[in-house]
Amino acid sequence: MFTFLMTNPIGDAMNNTEWAFPLCECFHIIGFALSIGTIVVVDLRMLGLALKSTTSAQLLKDTRMWTMAGLTVMLISGPLIFLSDPVMYMGNQSFRFKIGALLVAILYNYTIHAKVAKGPDSPTAKLVALVSILLWVSVVAGGLFIAFV
Amino acid sequence: MTIFHDIQSIGFLTEIRESALVYPVIMTTHLACIAVFGGLILMTDLRLLGLALKSQSIASVVNGLRNWKRLGFCIMVTMGLLLGTSEAEKYQPNPFFWWKMGLLAMVGVHALIFRPLVYNHPEELDRSPVIPTRAKVAAVLSLVLWMSVVTMGRLIGYWEPEQAKVAQVE
Repeated sequence: MFTFLMTNPIGDAMNNTEWAFPLCECFHIIGFALSIGTIVVVDLRMLGLALKSTTSAQLLKDTRMWTMAGLTVMLISGPLIFLSDPVMYMGNQSFRFKIGALLVAILYNYTIHAKVAKGPDSPTAKLVALVSILLWVSVVAGGLFIAFV
Repeated sequence: MTIFHDIQSIGFLTEIRESALVYPVIMTTHLACIAVFGGLILMTDLRLLGLALKSQSIASVVNGLRNWKRLGFCIMVTMGLLLGTSEAEKYQPNPFFWWKMGLLAMVGVHALIFRPLVYNHPEELDRSPVIPTRAKVAAVLSLVLWMSVVTMGRLIGYWEPEQAKVAQVE
């Protein structure tokens, strides 16, 4: 498994062209700006802090497709970046934290968060929104710290 | 360049540069702001293009997100300034850094032109039967500018001064 990862053709392509890796990173950043940005729009509404003329349920409906688009870009560019140096990433504490946080954040977004966002405003909704923001920020933080641990 | 050296030698900027934790934390904040507030800019532009949040009026999207974008912009710029000034000497010869600064200046020009035309009167856009072209132009330019800023920002980290390249070859 590891030998395959180390010698995978995608990784070779990523490492043998000067622009492939930075290009993937740029897509990755734009992808998470789109997905996290749209999720935070819903969160801000759930917290009662923005777009109060509408409901969080309506905003969720309006942003869902764009969140998905951002996640798709993120989840294509991310694994490509990973394949450029799988062994380093697997051994990186911050990377492992990030993947854990990401899985929790995605799961949370499509279960608890989606369910509560469809419901009425409540203190619970505020808490759920706050947890959502914290989860996504920790994913970003985990990603950045890969380069610093 | 002495002035760049002088800037980064300011006490707290030296401390930021040399700190193992503060520097990445500032960078994380910078990036988290890009995620959150860059996303808000994207949503506003997509609404102006008629591609997202269509159940909301343009006015409610533009007005409703305005303060959040401003807040995010301020934090993002503050963090960016700390990052840039604490490594001033390293950034000074980097062409991608100056491309990024140039693009940010264009963002300013964009605001000067399109605030009076588009963003300050979103109600007018809602009254129009179709979204006016000037709003769509503003949105497309904003998207292109911000994506270029992000791209140049990321590329800053990939540039090496000529001496370093020569040293590697040798």
